[in-house]
Amino acid sequence: MTRLAYLFAAAFGLAMALAAPATAQVNIDDKLPLCSACHGENGVPTEKNIPVIWGQHQGYIYFMLRDFKLGQRQNDAMTEIAKDLSRDEMMALAEYFSKKPWPNLNQPRASAEDTKRAESAIVSGQCGACHGEQGMGDSVQPRIAGQQRDYLLLTLTEFRSRKRTNNPWMSDILGTLAPEDMDALANYMAGR
Amino acid sequence: MVNRTRQFLAASAVAAVAYAYAPVASSQEVKSASKWGDMNTVTQDLLNRAAGDGNNFLHTNGNYQQTRYYPNRQINTGNVQKLRPAWIFQTEVRESLETSPIVLNGVMYVTTSFNHVYALDARTGDELWHYKHKLGPITIYCCGPNNRGVAVYGDMVYMATLDSKLVALDAKTGKVNWESQIADPELGYSETMAPTAVDGKILIGTNGGEYGIRGFVKAFDAKTGKLIWTFNTVPENSVGVWATHDATGRDMKRNIEAEKAQLAKTGDPFKTLGGGVWQNPAVDLDTRRIYFVVGNPSPDLDGSLRPGDNLYTDSLVSVNLDTGQYVCHLQYIAHDVWDLDAVSPPVITTVAGKDGKPIKGVLHAGKTGHVYVHDANDCSLIRFSEAMVPQENMWVLPTKEGARMLPGANGGVEWSPIATDPGKGLAYAINLHQPMTYHVESSPYPAGKLWLGGAFKVIPSEEQWGNVTAVDYNTGKIRWQVKTPQPMIGGILATAGGLVFTGEANGQFKAYDSDTGSVLWKFQAGAGVNAPPSSYTVDGRQYVVVGAGGNTQIDYKRGNSIIAFTLAD
Repeated sequence: MTRLAYLFAAAFGLAMALAAPATAQVNIDDKLPLCSACHGENGVPTEKNIPVIWGQHQGYIYFMLRDFKLGQRQNDAMTEIAKDLSRDEMMALAEYFSKKPWPNLNQPRASAEDTKRAESAIVSGQCGACHGEQGMGDSVQPRIAGQQRDYLLLTLTEFRSRKRTNNPWMSDILGTLAPEDMDALANYMAGR
Repeated sequence: MVNRTRQFLAASAVAAVAYAYAPVASSQEVKSASKWGDMNTVTQDLLNRAAGDGNNFLHTNGNYQQTRYYPNRQINTGNVQKLRPAWIFQTEVRESLETSPIVLNGVMYVTTSFNHVYALDARTGDELWHYKHKLGPITIYCCGPNNRGVAVYGDMVYMATLDSKLVALDAKTGKVNWESQIADPELGYSETMAPTAVDGKILIGTNGGEYGIRGFVKAFDAKTGKLIWTFNTVPENSVGVWATHDATGRDMKRNIEAEKAQLAKTGDPFKTLGGGVWQNPAVDLDTRRIYFVVGNPSPDLDGSLRPGDNLYTDSLVSVNLDTGQYVCHLQYIAHDVWDLDAVSPPVITTVAGKDGKPIKGVLHAGKTGHVYVHDANDCSLIRFSEAMVPQENMWVLPTKEGARMLPGANGGVEWSPIATDPGKGLAYAINLHQPMTYHVESSPYPAGKLWLGGAFKVIPSEEQWGNVTAVDYNTGKIRWQVKTPQPMIGGILATAGGLVFTGEANGQFKAYDSDTGSVLWKFQAGAGVNAPPSSYTVDGRQYVVVGAGGNTQIDYKRGNSIIAFTLAD
């Protein structure tokens, strides 16, 4: 190999090394502090009714940002944040948080009574078909195991009452369960 | 509407792209090639002769006719009690296992959830190579991250993926040869079925009937991955004949006037009407036709948004193998609002025609619990079997509060393939009995989210069970039936040894006498045996192999084992 050819090859190799996947080309650094202000600098949200997003699945985070942007999911703060995000920015943010470790919130295990009620509701509602056997989710299906208890209860309640509208199936299936099941399910999944 | 049109145009553009694969990090592990020397190239002739091949297991359902009848009788009713595990291979994925092992010249190919492929030494279970597909960030699928296996053809192994790709791997190394995008996963398209390889084509359907897709069967070039043809399972005129009764003659209580008014208001719903194809087509090389069944309309339970018969959902359909042109169809349930659709793969076999004379027929075991017997010439229905599971309150319409009806929405017979014994004229099916209530709630197309238009709810206070059932398809009568403690999902295999093999959620894998249903042998696999068994022969020794990994859809105990059995010395 001539010196010229070597230099060319080295330069080309460097260029290739710097070319990252499409989502990584988007600079999201300026947006991260805003996310951390509520979802936590260490992955533990600042309020009990704000969800953990560290370690959540990329597809799910992307879908939620998309839904906030399109107005399919309602939240004043998130709608304002998402309204100007491009698809690549949403995907890059989703990828960033999906690669963070899920925080341990040290939430207690559900009581025996709640566990029994929740497990019956899970069979009846076939929750595992989407959220998985352990509630870990995948891709566009959220992890619910270990999620914040108050956020889970809020989500279940708002889906059940149809206040939250961005996944009609969740409203449909939760509508077939008893109101008391919501507390049991939140306690059960939070403590897993 | 504008957005939706754009999404479909995008989907079409994505689907049209087939490209040479540039290797990326896919965590492949490649070990030495087979101990049996170079593997045979899989010729078309070999595939054609699979029904009589007592060594290999080359098709997902045994052969192009999909009989799941293995012609070796070394393991038989007289010695099956001596069947013992030969080896156990544990995959790295402990999740729902629905693979049909494919065996060629002593090499076995199995897949797992999340699209791993393993090549194994079929005699020892030693791993030869392992391919792990790098899934994209968006995968939308119903009923678990399943995969039901590979197709083999030439020097390649083919798998379809949850992110709606078709991947061709080098059979000796597991390295990617090419990869083609089948459809846009962000719109709810995904793949869990095994492809079918025939005459230089790789045939594949799609999941997505729970997400408002427009279903299809596509044919790709086996060498290059280029799209050859597409058959849309939902035509642009999906209205049909306003059928008021199902294929068995029962009134479906449709409000035809209301549907016609809705049609005038919103037009034909074909763009989001569903119609997934979950399982392999049966192939008739004599007539150059394929036969497959089409799944439910979207949204599953809410018929108010989709007026008409919703062609060709819930149907047996035949198209030309070379062109994808429509040949014939028969719709079991027009305007289905119960998700009692058609998923178990059809079987081509000789049946008694309406006049009793033998003709080429097609069998399909429905979620309704019937085995339907068709004339292969025009798809018409010759007869249907006695119901294999309890039917009650059919066809009560779903309500907001929930209406109880049997079978529950999983059937009947789910995706599980049936087996047949052509000499006995019997079809063997596994059944579910799961009482459910059907609830309807109307909601607009949610763009990639689950879109059922309501819910199916298991009634927790009612007993569930399963059956293994033998049906005489020339009379429609049930020959024998054995009850199992849990609903059955997975598949079944018949052999020339007078046996049928199938597994249960509680880990039991059993051999039954195919004449009587007597349990002749069983083995506790430690996790749900919810995959179709295969059989093969190496060095003159017959094996039966099955996956034990449980099932996501009805939440059976997960595992990660592939277990091969052979007779003790």
